[in-house]
Amino acid sequence: MPHLDAAFNLARWLTGNATDAEDVVQDAYLRAFRYFDAFRGDNFRVWLLTIVRNSFLTWVQDNRSGRLVFDSAVTDFAGADTWPDPSPGPEAMLLEQVDRDTLATLVAHLPAEYREVLILREIEDLSYKEIAQVAGVPAGTVMSRLARARQALRTAWMQQSGEGKVRGGRKS
Amino acid sequence: MNHKTAMTLLPAGADGQLGPFRRFLLDRHIARCTSCRAEQEALHALSTVVRTSLPVHRAPPSLAARIGAALPREAPPEPVRTRLLWPQLGFGVGGALAGAALTLALMWTPAAPDRLATEAVANHVRSMLADHLTDVTTSDQHTVKPWLSARLDFSPVAKDFTASGYPLVGGRLDYIDGHQAAAIVYRRDRHIINLFVYPSNEADALPRMEQRDGFHIVRWRSGGLKYIAVSDVEAAQLQGFVTLVRQAAG
Repeated sequence: MPHLDAAFNLARWLTGNATDAEDVVQDAYLRAFRYFDAFRGDNFRVWLLTIVRNSFLTWVQDNRSGRLVFDSAVTDFAGADTWPDPSPGPEAMLLEQVDRDTLATLVAHLPAEYREVLILREIEDLSYKEIAQVAGVPAGTVMSRLARARQALRTAWMQQSGEGKVRGGRKS
Repeated sequence: MNHKTAMTLLPAGADGQLGPFRRFLLDRHIARCTSCRAEQEALHALSTVVRTSLPVHRAPPSLAARIGAALPREAPPEPVRTRLLWPQLGFGVGGALAGAALTLALMWTPAAPDRLATEAVANHVRSMLADHLTDVTTSDQHTVKPWLSARLDFSPVAKDFTASGYPLVGGRLDYIDGHQAAAIVYRRDRHIINLFVYPSNEADALPRMEQRDGFHIVRWRSGGLKYIAVSDVEAAQLQGFVTLVRQAAG
């Protein structure tokens, strides 16, 4: 089954659990099989991941009616100048100390559209153009969304490590 | 490049997604902006952390099997798109046939699969699995045809189409649709084509193509014989083959 791990990893991060991810991936492969004749691109993986995303949206509709999963209005129109000014120097070092479990928890708590672009960019190593194809948005939106996704992850990480220090202080 | 633009472009820069010109302008700004340099470092660090430390979930081994089991049953056979068939044919059997193929392609409509299609595919698969592809193995058409004719109460055409890219492999006796049938075996590259031929009282019918379990099936009736061609070659190649057979049968 080509690209099954990539499909499963994306579905797993989007649904948040393995059981639902399996259902989404199975649905995606059935769709891919059915519509394979419509595949015109040169990157089968990008095409397949697009179908995984669509299957995920269908799964959301079937299982969580009314819940808004991709909230583009909130995330895509705020300007880059509203970001906090990064403090130079120590942040990069701090980021490198993150452990796997903490990172997984932080990413899992990001909004779905942030998780999606992060996985496609950092794990699948897709270009902005390819991510745009999967997510069905312009490449410019991918750029700003990815930037905000990282910003949100950094903010969450800084908060988390700050809390950790406070707790550590209380213990000692 | 001003600082605000640079800050906006930094993530794309870190991702290697900027064109050379913007890359140059951004680098020029970063070189004298400590704030941007720190931001670039942080972005690289974040990217590295996510790439190295974020758990990547591998599909459980059972998932591939589960999808595989669901695939053939759940996915309906795809209709063959006639629009694309005849331009590809030029590669397969030569431009001379393209005109005839176009005429055929226009009439070539998808048919609903039925028991006969299932049986034809099953015979085709069995012929390859059971190592019983041919009873008489020769590319000599003057051997295959008499061999079949001697054992059946009709005389199928078994012409060699090596010149067109479909060499004759041999023939065997088979049983399909309640009839003793000639199974004439051809090769297209590494794919096998089984052509089943048996008598039929029904009226002549033009070729119809369908797809089942990854195989293409073309059947037609002509001159009191029923023809069923089965193979996993591409639709256009099987169509080219059928055109050759129909011309040879006259």
